[in-house]
Amino acid sequence: MTAEAEMVAIPQPAARRRPAGSAGDTVFHGLTIVFAVLVLLILGGVIVSLGYGALPAFRQFGLGFIVGSAWNPVTDNFGALAPIYGTLVTSLIAMLIGIPVAFGVALFITELCPKWLRRPLGTMIELLAAIPSIIYGIWGLFVLAPFIQEHIEPALIATLGKIPGIGMLFAGPPLGIGVLTAGFILAVMVLPFIASVMRDVFETVPPMLKESAYGIGATTTEVVWRVVLPYTRIGVVGGILLGLGRALGETMAVTFVIGNSHHIHASILQPGTTISAALANEFTEAVGDLYQSSLIGLGFILFIITFIVLAAAKVMLIRLQKGAGAAA
Amino acid sequence: MQLYTRRRLSNYLVVALSLGATAFGLLFLVLVLGTLLVNGVGALSLTLVTQATPPPGSAGGLMNAIFGSLAMTVIATLVGTPTGILAGTFLAEYAHGSRLGEFVRFINDILLSAPSIIIGLFVYAILVVPMGHFSAWAGSVALAIIMIPVIVRTTEDMLTLVPNALREAAAALGSPKWKIIVMVTYRSAVQGMLTGVLLAVARISGETAPLLFTALNNQFWSTNLNAPMANLPVVIFQFAMSPYADWQSLAWAGALLITATILILNIGARLFASWSGLQK
Amino acid sequence: MSVSLAMRTPMPPEEPVESGPVAVDNPLPVKVQIKNVGFRYGKFEALKGVSLPLYDRRVTAFIGPSGCGKSTLLRILNRIYELYPGHVATGEVLVDGQNILSPGMDLNVVRAKIGMVFQKPTPFPMSIHDNIAFGIRLYERLPKSELDDRVESALRRAALWDEVRDKLRQSGLSLSGGQQQRLCIARAIAVQPEILLLDEPASALDPISTQRIEELIAELKSDYCIAIVTHNMQQAARSSDHTAFMYLGELVEFDETERIFTVPREKRTEDYITGRFG
Repeated sequence: MTAEAEMVAIPQPAARRRPAGSAGDTVFHGLTIVFAVLVLLILGGVIVSLGYGALPAFRQFGLGFIVGSAWNPVTDNFGALAPIYGTLVTSLIAMLIGIPVAFGVALFITELCPKWLRRPLGTMIELLAAIPSIIYGIWGLFVLAPFIQEHIEPALIATLGKIPGIGMLFAGPPLGIGVLTAGFILAVMVLPFIASVMRDVFETVPPMLKESAYGIGATTTEVVWRVVLPYTRIGVVGGILLGLGRALGETMAVTFVIGNSHHIHASILQPGTTISAALANEFTEAVGDLYQSSLIGLGFILFIITFIVLAAAKVMLIRLQKGAGAAA
Repeated sequence: MQLYTRRRLSNYLVVALSLGATAFGLLFLVLVLGTLLVNGVGALSLTLVTQATPPPGSAGGLMNAIFGSLAMTVIATLVGTPTGILAGTFLAEYAHGSRLGEFVRFINDILLSAPSIIIGLFVYAILVVPMGHFSAWAGSVALAIIMIPVIVRTTEDMLTLVPNALREAAAALGSPKWKIIVMVTYRSAVQGMLTGVLLAVARISGETAPLLFTALNNQFWSTNLNAPMANLPVVIFQFAMSPYADWQSLAWAGALLITATILILNIGARLFASWSGLQK
Repeated sequence: MSVSLAMRTPMPPEEPVESGPVAVDNPLPVKVQIKNVGFRYGKFEALKGVSLPLYDRRVTAFIGPSGCGKSTLLRILNRIYELYPGHVATGEVLVDGQNILSPGMDLNVVRAKIGMVFQKPTPFPMSIHDNIAFGIRLYERLPKSELDDRVESALRRAALWDEVRDKLRQSGLSLSGGQQQRLCIARAIAVQPEILLLDEPASALDPISTQRIEELIAELKSDYCIAIVTHNMQQAARSSDHTAFMYLGELVEFDETERIFTVPREKRTEDYITGRFG
C-alpha cells in the first residue's frame, strides 16, 4: 500500500479558475426569496380580494350584516347571522364530541396499547384524516343521516327532549339531516387531527417523568392527568385550536347533511346552514352583485374567524417548542 | 369507598373509555370505507373510463371527469412543487432565525389549514373574473395554492434533517452555497421531499370546494383547459345530491376511485419512505 | 490581493517566527502563521490570543481537554465558521504570508488551498467516483478520461483505490466507516490543497481503521502541511512532529512533540499529559 502511494506522482495544480457559480449564489438565493414572499402574497391577496369583494355588502348593510338574520335573494336582503350561527354551533358540537374521543385515542396509543399496535393505529388516524370531505359528505347523506333519523333522533326527542329547558335543543321532527348530524360528522373528521397533535405532544414527555410517577404507584389515569397533561397543556390547546380551525372551514361534508336552511333554530335537530355550506350551494348561482357580494362577505367573515383561531394555535405551538427547548 | 379502590375503579373507567374511543375511530373508518366499497364496487365497469357523464336517466361513465381531475392535478403539481420546494429551501437554508423566515413560516402554516373554499373564492376573484369564464387553469391554480403550504412544510422539515456536517464538508471543498444545496442537500433529502409531494397530491385529489368556483364542471368530454372542465369531486357533489339513481351510482363509483387513489398515494408514500430509509 | 496557487515551494517566512511561550530553534519553513487569533460566538469567547506557526511538510497536533478550543481554531483556518451567523474571528492567519482572514480574501480560493476532514465521515449521497469528482469539478473542466485519472490518483493517495476500483459507481454510503473516512481524505486531496486540516479524523473509527489513517497521515506528510486535532494523546505522540496544548481557549504550550511529552515546561501541560485532568 505504501509503495503504491509513493509511485503516484502528485499532479501539479493546473491554472485554476474561480469556482463557477458564485453568481449562481445570488440568483438562487433570490429565487428562494421570491417564492417565499409569494406565500405571503397569497395570504395577503386572499384578505384583499375577499375584503374588496365584500365591500358592497358591507356598504349596503353596514356592520348589521353580521347580525342580520334575513336571507332573501328576491328582496336583496342579506344577513350573516344564520350561517355564522350554524358554523359556530356545528363546530361546537364537533369539539364537544371530538376532543374527548381524540384524547381517548391519544391516551390509548401512547400509554395503553401494546407496542406492535402503535404503528397500525397511527396509520388508522392518518387514514381518517386523509379521507376527503366529500367522501364523508356522501357517506353522511346516505348512511349516517338515515341512521340518525331512525334511531338516534327519536331516542333523543323521547328522552332529552322532554326535559324542560334543554328540551328545546332536541325538539322537532326527526329529519336526519341537520345541525346535529353535521356536527357529528365534523367530529369524526376533526378527531384525527386533534388526536395526532395530542399523540405527538404526549410523546415528548420525558419517559423519566412518567416513570417516576408510575414508580410511586400512580395509575395510568393519574399519570396522564397529573403529569402528562400539565406538561403538554400548551400543545394540547394548540392541537384543539387546530382542530377547531379545520371544523370551522369544512365545506363538503357539512353541505351534504346540514339541510341548507337560512333559519336559526334552537333545536340542533333542525336544518341550518354554515358559511361554507352556503357558499358551496349558492355562489355559482348567485345572480346580482349584492347577492354575490354578500356571499363573499360570508367568506370574509369565515376567513377572519379561522385566521384568528389558527394564529392562536400557531402561537401556542411555537411557545411549546420554545418551552421545550428551554427546558431541555 | 376506600381511596385505593376508588382510584382503581376510576382508572379502569378511563382505560375503558379510551379503548372505546379508539374503537369509535376504527369503527367509523371501517364504516366509511366499507360503505364506499359496497356501493362503489357495483358501479365499477369499463364504461367508467370510456363514456362521459350522462344526462340524468341514462347510463354513462366518468371519463371526462377522470381526465379533468388528472389534468388539473398534474398542472397543479407542476406549478406547486417547485414553488413549495424553493420556498421551503428559503426557510431551511437561508432564513436562520430571521424575522422574514419566521413570518413566512407562520403564514404558511395558517394557509395550510385555511378553508379550501376561501382559496376557491380568491382564485375566482383573480382569475375567473378577469378571464370572464371558468377554466381548468383556474382550477389548477386553486389546487396548486392548496398544495404549496404542504410542500413548503415537508421540504423545510426534510432539509433541516440533513446534518450540517454534510454541508460543511462541501463548503470545505470551496463549493458555492447554491451547489451545496442543489447537489448535496437536496440529494440527501430527496426521498423525504418526494414523500411530501406525494402526500400533497393525495391532499388535493379529493378537494371539491376550490374547484366549485374555478373549474366548475363540464357535462361533456373536453380537453380545453381554457374552459370549464369536468372533475371527479364536483361531479360526485352534483350527482350524489340529485334524486337520480344512475347519477347516484356513478357518484359512488367516483367516490371509490378518489378514495382508492388517495389511499394508494398515502400508503405508497409511507412505504416509499420506509423502503428508502432501509436502503441507507 | 491574490493567492498564488501554483507555487508549491515553501516560501521563507516573511516575518520572524512567533510561537507561544516557547521559541523554536530550527528554522523550518512556516506554511501558516497564526497571529493573536481570537474567536467568539454570542457573548462567549472561545479563543483568546492564540499565536503559533504550522510548519510545511510537518504534522502539528492540537491536544487539550474538551472545550479547549482546538477544533474551533482549526475551523478558523479554512473559515468554515462563517457558515454560521454570529461567529466572529479576530487576529490574523498568514498563509504563505497572506492573511486569509482579511475581508477581501476570496473564500473559495482559501478553501481550495486548505482542505478539511471532519470527525464523522461525511460521504456525499453520490457514487464514490462522483464524491471525488465533486470537488474537482468545482474548479476545472476536464475531459472524462482526465477526470477519471484524477479520481484514481486521489483514491490511490488515500490508500483506498484497491478496495473500491471495482465499485466506483456504488454509493459512497455503502462503504465501511474507515473506508468512508479515507474517501473523505481522498476527496479533500483531489482538489490539490497545500494544507490539510484533520479534525479528530479517527475518533469515530475502530482501532484498525485508526491505524490505517495514521499510516496514511505519515505518508501524506511529505506533501502537505498537516494540522490534526485529537483527544487521543498517544495518537498525537505517535503521529506528529509538533504539538500544541490548549486549555480554555488559550495556547498553553507549543513545542516539538518529543519535548512536550517528555519534558513539558508548563505545569498545566504536564498535568494534562499525565492524566491529572482531562
